[in-house]
Amino acid sequence: MPVKSLRLQLLAWVVLPLAGLATINLWTSHRSALATADLVTDRMLVGSARAIAEQVAIVDGVLDATVPPAAIEMFDTGDRDSVYYRVETAGGRLLTGYPDLPEAPTRPSMEAVYRDHRLRLLTFSHAVIGAGTDSPISVTVGVTLAGHDAMVRHLWVSAFAQQLALVAIAGVFVLLGLRRGLAPLIRLRDAVRSPNRSDLDPIEVAGAQSEIRPLVDALNVYMERVRAQMAAQRRFIANAAHQLRTPLALMSTQASYALRESAADQRQEALVALQASSGRLARLAEQLLTLSRAEPGSRRPRADRVDLTEAARHVLETQAPAAVARSIDLGLDETGPVAVAGDGTMLREMIVNLVDNALRYTPAGGAVTVRLARVDGEAVLTVADDGPGIPVDEREHVFERFYRLAGSTEDGSGLGLSIVREVVENAGGRVTLADGAAGGLVVEVRLPLA
Amino acid sequence: MRLLLVEDNRELADWLGKTLRQANYVVDVVHDGEDVEHALAAGDHALVILDLALPRMGGLEVLRMLRARGNRVPVIVLTANASLDGRVKGLNEGADDYLAKPFQVEELEARIRVQLRRVNDRTAPVVACGDLVFDTNTRLFSLAGETLALTPREHAVLEQLMVKAGRTVSKAALSSAIFDFETDADPSAIEIYVHRLRKKLEGSRVQIATLRGLGYLLRDAG
Repeated sequence: MPVKSLRLQLLAWVVLPLAGLATINLWTSHRSALATADLVTDRMLVGSARAIAEQVAIVDGVLDATVPPAAIEMFDTGDRDSVYYRVETAGGRLLTGYPDLPEAPTRPSMEAVYRDHRLRLLTFSHAVIGAGTDSPISVTVGVTLAGHDAMVRHLWVSAFAQQLALVAIAGVFVLLGLRRGLAPLIRLRDAVRSPNRSDLDPIEVAGAQSEIRPLVDALNVYMERVRAQMAAQRRFIANAAHQLRTPLALMSTQASYALRESAADQRQEALVALQASSGRLARLAEQLLTLSRAEPGSRRPRADRVDLTEAARHVLETQAPAAVARSIDLGLDETGPVAVAGDGTMLREMIVNLVDNALRYTPAGGAVTVRLARVDGEAVLTVADDGPGIPVDEREHVFERFYRLAGSTEDGSGLGLSIVREVVENAGGRVTLADGAAGGLVVEVRLPLA
Repeated sequence: MRLLLVEDNRELADWLGKTLRQANYVVDVVHDGEDVEHALAAGDHALVILDLALPRMGGLEVLRMLRARGNRVPVIVLTANASLDGRVKGLNEGADDYLAKPFQVEELEARIRVQLRRVNDRTAPVVACGDLVFDTNTRLFSLAGETLALTPREHAVLEQLMVKAGRTVSKAALSSAIFDFETDADPSAIEIYVHRLRKKLEGSRVQIATLRGLGYLLRDAG
């Protein structure tokens, strides 16, 4: 199971290797304690053996071995060790001591088991002047291991305690350091979670380290983007509400007028006008919806294969009655299918807006032409009208939402061209405005071919 | 009563004008803030209905300009911006009332009546002179309890005389109160309307007296 806590992870990364090192260290220190104890024991054994050997002398022509008490007592370290010894001649004759004590080398000592006790024992040989062939004598001394082991324990336990303290202190410092180091992150979390930050203000985290600073900055950049998007959305909704209010007031007025009017033909006139107003309001609502759908992120990007020629033909057929009613010559100029990739619904809506605009601003008796072509590997859709055109310095502004030309008396919403631009840009194309050959406006849309 | 409607949406202006004329108001319509001052100078408007979103000169600017020149005509502001801030701003600039779009015509008319009552220093919705009664709510005249049938022009003349009952109203003042900009103001036509009104008021306690060189006066002769 993966550990999710940064604290635990860092603690593990610091303390586990440290504990490993400490273990190795303990093993080596155990070895050195053992070596030290061995060395000390050997020295004492040698000292004891030498003290015994030096007491061996020819007394009345006979080789005599008297064991001095100091040679035994030097092992009395309070660990109740037993001491065994044997003194024999070069010929192997026992002078004193335990005959069955195992044979032992000279230094270093060896370990053996004697009378169910572990012993360390060694042999020391010493020349006795005047002893003839009995010289040199050999003194074997053995001691049980209680004192030896106590010394190992003592040496090793203190090392163990030191290592343990080291690891523990390291762990505590890791935790303290983490607490200090993580404090800016905690403050960042609290700042983000704080109930009184609904306004997406930039977050300021005091004392943030250079590793955390980029996180704070990235968060602030992100919030700035969200805030800008929300502001745009709010502006759009406010504008939309604003745009809906006047038509609604108009319809309400027309209805009031019709209700009060007793003359049948005037009431009829008001009702016809009311119907037209409601149609326009429906169109406005539709445009607002289209725009909100064209908004990035509000609709799954689609890459339908759309035949612009077919789409344009369909739009023109729907718009034909309006054109005929105003004696406008509405024409389609095409040379075959022009396929592009994009959102089919939105692309059709774009053509509707272009044609609707052209018809709206073209005077009765004028002409509107929709032309489709493939130029330089691009699909080119142009809509040319006989209207008043758009002054050059206004051409960038007319793509802004709700922008209306000054002095314009047509009842446009100021949304048509912004819909066109958003749809075209979403489909990876571009839209430009130009003057027609005989006046009027030419809108040119270029889209990548599918 | 002659009203000035300032609204740039031509359709709304047309239909609102028509609807107010149904209620026997004389209505002038302008579509541009810059035309307001000229219109007010040319006619005797009792009240202005002012849209705030106007091309060239905005509604608030028009209002500021009017008040700066000492014009105290009641102004009802119409706006598509219903925010509190917008309302307060409008009232601070000297608007007398505020109506957010979309509104019901009935409410606009009620607010017009309130403003007109205030201007004429009345609190009651009914004005009486002898047995002639004018109900400002229904905007109908009645004589001895019977509704008086009047043409819009006759109505305008009588309303003007009624509001100023007991005082002299000059022919010029009558003329600028009853003819809108669409009509050629013909002062001699006023004599015709007065003549017809006198006929309709025959046998009642009220009479329209002519004061030569001064104008007309509606009085209770009973």
